[in-house]
Parts: sequence; structure tokens; C-alpha cells
Amino acid sequence: MATAGRGYRPGLVDLDRGRISREIFVSDEIYAEEQERLFARAWLFVGHESQIPNPGDFFVSGMGEESVILCRDRAGQIHVFLNSCRHRGMKVCRYDEGNTPVFTCPYHGWSYASDGKLVGVPYFREAYHSTLDRAQWGLVEVAQLCNYKGSIWANWDKAAPSFEEYLGDFAHYLDLTVNSWDGGDGGIEILGGIQKWLIPCNWKFPAENFCGDSYHNISHRSVDLAGIGPSGSGRRDMQERIMARRLQVSLYERGHQTGIYVMPQGEPTPPAYAHSPVVSEYFRHCEEERRRRHGEWGRVIGSPGEVFPNIALHPRQPRTIAVWHPRGAHQTECWRWYFVDKAAPPEVKDFLRDYYIRYSGPGGMTEQDDMENWNYAHAASRGVIARRHPYSYEQGQGYETANYEWQGLRIPGTVMDITEAKSSEHNLRNLYRRWAEFMEAPSWDQLATWRRAGAGIVQAAE
Amino acid sequence: MSELVNTRLLTPGTRIVLVDGAVAEVVSNPQDGVWVFARYLSSPTDPSVVGSEEMIFAQDIADITAS
Repeated sequence: MATAGRGYRPGLVDLDRGRISREIFVSDEIYAEEQERLFARAWLFVGHESQIPNPGDFFVSGMGEESVILCRDRAGQIHVFLNSCRHRGMKVCRYDEGNTPVFTCPYHGWSYASDGKLVGVPYFREAYHSTLDRAQWGLVEVAQLCNYKGSIWANWDKAAPSFEEYLGDFAHYLDLTVNSWDGGDGGIEILGGIQKWLIPCNWKFPAENFCGDSYHNISHRSVDLAGIGPSGSGRRDMQERIMARRLQVSLYERGHQTGIYVMPQGEPTPPAYAHSPVVSEYFRHCEEERRRRHGEWGRVIGSPGEVFPNIALHPRQPRTIAVWHPRGAHQTECWRWYFVDKAAPPEVKDFLRDYYIRYSGPGGMTEQDDMENWNYAHAASRGVIARRHPYSYEQGQGYETANYEWQGLRIPGTVMDITEAKSSEHNLRNLYRRWAEFMEAPSWDQLATWRRAGAGIVQAAE
Repeated sequence: MSELVNTRLLTPGTRIVLVDGAVAEVVSNPQDGVWVFARYLSSPTDPSVVGSEEMIFAQDIADITAS
């Protein structure tokens, strides 16, 4: 295992042996390389269209270390721009969200319309003698943007595949978060504001936690004992665990992964939200509709997952998306969006709001447990001695299934059935397999492994 | 000497005098403290801009005039 003090090199992620060097979490050099290799090339979540319903609406988001503006122009078109003036780099928008006809740089006054065009240059006639080519100096726009069922994704690399291709079969699993609960076209919307907070750990700690790591459930023992769940016990309604197959699913060539439950054929989804008859009835009805619309796929119940590299999905109880923004090797800025069905009755939305904030975010009882783990794990991994000793990712190696099927339902991806095993690090290995591929590949020609015959750059050990 | 104009307070319909002597009427105000959108009513240095709408830089605004 390699030791401290240098940037990325092959061998730090050793999936053959199920070992990963602590260097990838604590090295400043590797962190700097990640910005170019990962965050400048991967598709990243920037927000939801319900945040910018009207022309001129904007929401300041982030892509890696970059501040970006998600906005809707006068014509209704959605854009994502680098939040940096082309003249001297000052942020042209310092509000979190709002509505504006122009983004004006407070430094020298250059001003941009909501479609990114440079429309105001102080002393354009006098100082520039009307010769500055304003068309060349609009805001920097992302190379690609995708509105996927209301969720907005962007990419700086024009050579990257489309978002749908980037997702591959993982679209089935992302849909569990972004579709309305009944599986129809009603859509979802943001509930309240975005929670944002800083934690002193590398962004990959929360990223791997949300890949479907259930091994850390012991950390949440106190929350389960307190019974913060919406039926008064545990932290979530999880009756399906008694009868469902519990799976970890990885998309090897994409780097996305999630946990899911698959209900037995003919078995309805167990009741939930017992603390509110209105909410309970709403979800019972939605589940029935979902089964009717999606047939056998309606047997699948979502569980935490991750779109590579840093977008956490929490499809159910609470229903949220989190982004782990890198802020140096030793700090992460967490942003969490909360979702509800647009068409849900106000009583349902109110009930969910209370439950969501009780569970997640900086004040959420469950997320506090997680943060404590990440913070201290990171701190205890930074020393020169600690760095010499890799982490273990051996759990469940060799027990995955390529063509998993249960009671007539084929599950896309490579599956680890943990119904009896209880836990596996299958999904975590997938995150780092793809991470290493991104760190090594010079371009998307190599990263789009599914377009050519043969294996990926980092040979799968499993 | 006239007082410095606070552009954030300029409402649509307000007439402003620019440092080159032009007069314009405020059309809208993005409230950024830097620009207002205004239509030229007169311009001694460039009559061709009369009638056109432009973004007017705060430091080019000399005064507010009675409409």
C-alpha cells in the first residue's frame, strides 16, 4: 500500500484485496486532482425546476468548488452559469435565490442578462471606444444541461455522454426519488429551503455512507430507541424488511449504486405513517397507483443510493437529495433538498416537513449520528502513522450476482442480496472503482467503457 | 452641485439627467445599485439614441429632473 505525500497513483484503490488507502481521503494533492478529473467531467445535480418557476428566477448552487447560477431567462429557458464575472472574477450573484432581470458585478459594474449575455459595460463608449466585443464576454455556461423529470443536472465537459447515457439503467432507481409517489406525471417540488452546513471531513465519507451502507446502522441505535419514525417506532417505517428481499445494486460502468427492497409477488406495500391517518391513506393510495402503473417494478421500494460522484438519494422517509460539495480535502459543504409530491394535500406536506427535519440535516437526529462518524473518522486518518494503514472494504466480496431475478422481477445492475447476509460493501467498492477510473482516464473516450467491448480501466476485482 | 443620486430609489417614469446632458426616463430598475433601464428623451451629444432604451450606469446619472 502506497504511503503519504504524493498525488493519485494506481494501487490506492485495491479492489482485488478489498483495501483502500486513507490517502484518497486526506491528501491535499489528490483532492486538487479530483477537481479536474471528477468534478469538471461528471454530471452534477444543481437543483430542481420548482426552485425557479418564473422568468428571472435564480438559485445559486455549486458544482464541485465552483459557484454556479441556476436560472430561468426571460424566454423561460433554464441555464446554469459560472457565478464569476468575466472581467475580474467577482461573484455576479451573492444572494442564495431570488428574481432579477440582470446579474450585476458589484466590482466594476459589468452586467449580464438572465440568458448570460453581457448587456452592461460601464463606459462602453468612452473607455472601450465601443470596441469591446460583448458577445465574447457573456457568463460562462455549462457545456451540457439536463432537466430530468424536474431535477436539473449539469456538466462542464462537452465530451461527456448525455445525462441519460451517464445514468444508464440507474434511471430506474433515480426515478424512485424524482417521480411523484404514485408513479404518475404529477411531479415533485421542493419543500422549504435548502439546508446547508459545513462538516470537517472529506466529501467521500458522506458519499460512501449513502451508497447503501447499512453496516453503520448501529450508529443510529439511539434514534431507533427514541422512535422518531412516522409511526412512532424506529426512525423509519420499515415493515417491508420482514418480507422483502433486501438488495444492494451497483452499476459497474457508471459508478452509481443504491439499496432497494423488493416485495414478494402479490404482496402489498406495508402500511406506513400510522401517526397520521391522512398521510397514511395518501401513501396507501399512491402505492396502489404505483403498482397499477408500473406492474412488477412497483414491487421495488427505494432506499439510500448515490449518483456518482457526490449526489446522495434518499427516496423514502425522508425523501431528499443531498450534494456533498468539496471544500478542501478536509471539509465538505452539505446541501440537502427535501421533496414532496406536488399534488400532495397540505396536511401531508406539513407532516412530512416535521418528520424530515427531525430526521435529516444539521439538526436532524439521524444525520447528526452520521456526521459524528465522518468527522472523527477523517480526523483520525490524517496523521502520518494513520495514513500508512488502509481501510478494509472486503465485506461480501465474491457474492454478487450479475443477472439477479426474484419472483419474476429482473433487477438491473449487479446485485448483492443482503437479506440473509445483513450487510455488504459491494456498493462502496463500486463507488471507488469508478472514482479510480475517473482519476486515471484522460478523457470520456476511456470513461465511456460501455461503448466498447472489454472491461473498464480499473479491472473489476469482483 | 447636485446630490449623489441613489439609483435604488429611482422608479419607472422618473426622468434623469446624464453627465453628458442627455435626459432619459427610467423604464425599470433592477435594484442592483449600478444600473437602471431608461429611454432617451434627448441627447445633445448623440441625437440618434433618442427613443432608444439603454442600461444607464449609475455614475453617468447627474441628477433627477422634474418631469
